[in-house]
Amino acid sequence: MIGVAIVTRDLVKRYGRRRALDGCSLVVPRGTMMGLVGANGAGKTTWMMAVAGFLRLSSGSIDLLGRGPFRAEVHSGRFAILPQDSALPLEARPGDILYRYARMQGLSPEAARRTANEMLAAVNLADRANNSIRSLSHGMRMRVRFAQCFIGSPEVVLLDEPLNGLDPIEADRIRRFLRARRGRQTIVISSHNLHDIETLCTHVAFVEKGRVTRTSTLEAITRASSRVTYTLAAEPSDMAALSAAVPGATFAWTAETHDLVCTFEAADGDVAAINRKLLPALLAQTDVLAVSSGLSLEQAYLGS
Amino acid sequence: MKSLFRIGQVAVAECAGAVRSRRVLVILALYLLMAVFCMMWTITILGKMEAELSKVLQLPETEETGIVSATLWKSAPFQSMVKSGLKNDLVYNDIEGRHPVELIYAWFAFMCAPLLAMLVAGNRVADDLKSGAVRYALVRVTRLEWTLGKYCGQVMLVAFALAVSALGAWVVAVFRLSGIGMFELLPTMFDWGFRAGMYALAWLGLALGVSHVTRSGSRASALCLLAIALCAGWPGILKLLSRWLDCQWLDHFDAIVPSSAALSLWRRSFAPLFTGGAHLLTLGLTYLMLGHLVFSRRDA
Repeated sequence: MIGVAIVTRDLVKRYGRRRALDGCSLVVPRGTMMGLVGANGAGKTTWMMAVAGFLRLSSGSIDLLGRGPFRAEVHSGRFAILPQDSALPLEARPGDILYRYARMQGLSPEAARRTANEMLAAVNLADRANNSIRSLSHGMRMRVRFAQCFIGSPEVVLLDEPLNGLDPIEADRIRRFLRARRGRQTIVISSHNLHDIETLCTHVAFVEKGRVTRTSTLEAITRASSRVTYTLAAEPSDMAALSAAVPGATFAWTAETHDLVCTFEAADGDVAAINRKLLPALLAQTDVLAVSSGLSLEQAYLGS
Repeated sequence: MKSLFRIGQVAVAECAGAVRSRRVLVILALYLLMAVFCMMWTITILGKMEAELSKVLQLPETEETGIVSATLWKSAPFQSMVKSGLKNDLVYNDIEGRHPVELIYAWFAFMCAPLLAMLVAGNRVADDLKSGAVRYALVRVTRLEWTLGKYCGQVMLVAFALAVSALGAWVVAVFRLSGIGMFELLPTMFDWGFRAGMYALAWLGLALGVSHVTRSGSRASALCLLAIALCAGWPGILKLLSRWLDCQWLDHFDAIVPSSAALSLWRRSFAPLFTGGAHLLTLGLTYLMLGHLVFSRRDA
C-alpha cells in the first residue's frame, strides 16, 4: 500500500487469560507523526512491541513498509524503536554502542562514526561519548536510547514514552528534534503526556482495552477547525448580537471558567474568519482574555 | 555475506561488552591467576617428588624439575600406570615423553575450560533478555544472527583467556625451571591452549544455550553449573541405565556430552584432532540451537 507505513489488523496478544491486544487495528500513513493515547495497560506498548517483532502474536497481521511483518533482514535500518523499560548494555559507551548499532544496520565505518557523533550531538551528549552507560544519569541514558532510534534516519520510528525522565531543557530539545522530522519520517509516539502529543503529532489514535477506539488527524479530533473558545471577563449580555455576527454558529457559556464556546460549520469560514466576525461583537460587550481553537487533546480524550 | 557481517558485528560488540563488564574481567583475571598458581604449585610438588625419588633411588641430585619425570616415562610400571589411568593407548603414545609442565598446563586448561565457559558466558544472554538490551539489537539483526554473534564473541573471549593463561603458565615455567628449553615450550603451551579452546566450543554452546531459556542471569549461571555436573555424571548415568535396562546401545549416547571427545584433542595427529574438534563444534552448535529454538519462539 503506497502512502502507508504500518498496517496492523486484528492483532490479538494473550498473556494467559488476559488480552493485552484484543483485535487492535491501526493504519499509520507514511510521513505522519502519530500519537497513541490511552490508559495504563491499554495496549500501546504491546502494539509497538508487536510491530517491532518482539512479540509472538496470538493472531492478526502486520504490514510494515509494505514488506510484511518485521524481519530484520528486510527492515534493518528502515525501522527503529525506543522500547519502554529496556536498558542499554550498562558496560557499553554511548559512542561505541551507537557506532556498533549503525554498523549492524550496514553503514560503513565512516558513516557509522559520523552518524553516531551526530546523534550524540543532537541529544547533547557529545561530551559523554566515552563514558560508560552505567555512569550516566537516568535522563542521559534515555537520551542515548532515543539517539539510537535515529541512526541512519530510518523510515519508521516507534517511540514509547520518549520524554520520560528528561529535564525541561532536554525535553524541549527532543521536541524540537522531532518537530524537525515531521513529514520526513513516520514516527509513532506513545505518551501519557497529552500536551506533548498535541504539540508534536499530526495524527492521534485512542487505544483502550487492547483496541483502537478512534483514529484521525489531530485537527479532526480536537475539532480545531470547527470550534473556538473565548475566555471572557464577563458573560456577554447580548447573545443575539453574536448569533447575528455568525449566523450558523452555536454558542455555549460556561460560567465557572468564563468560557464562551463557539461551534460552527466549515461553510461559516475558518477560525480566522470567525474571529474577524465575532471579536468586534464580543469586544463591544466585554473584554476578551484569551482565544483558543478547538478542544485540548485532553478534553477530546476525556470526552471520547 | 550480509548475515556473516552482522554476526561479526554482534560478536565484536559482545566481546567488547564482556571485556568491559567487571564480572567477566574478574573471572578472566581469576582464571589467569589459577593457571599461574596451578603451575607454580605443581612445579613445586613435582620438584619435591623428584627430590624424594632421587633420594630413594639413590640417583645424583638435580635441580632441573622434569628430568626424573623424563626418566620415569621410560619405566614400564609407570607407563602401565598412566595407560590404565588414561584407558586410551593412542593418547598415551601421543603424550609419552612430553614435558610434565606442558601436560600439567594441558590438564589445567582442559579441566577448567568448562568452568571458564560457564562462568563467562552463562549469564550473558539471560542478562540481555532481562534488561531488554536484546531489543536494540533485534531491530537490526535477526535472532539467529544475534545468537551466533553472541557465540562467536564468547569464543573470541575464551580464546583470549586461554592464550593469556598459556602465556602466564609459560612465564611461570620459565622462572621456576631453569633447565627446560623455554622457547620450545611456548608454542606447545599455545597448542594446548588452542586444543582447550576447541574443547570449550562445546561448553560455550551449552552455556549460551542454557542462557537462552531463562531471563535471570543468576538462574542461568546456576543452570550452567548443573549442566556441568550432569555432563560429568553422564557416562555413569548411561552405564547404570544400560545395565538396568540391558540396552548396550545406550552407551553410544555418551557422545552427546563434550567430555566424550576430549581425549581426541590430546592426540598429536591431525585426523583425530579434526574429528574431535568437529564433534565438539557440532555439540556446541547443537546446544546453542536448542537454546535458540526456545528463544526464537518466545517474546523478546
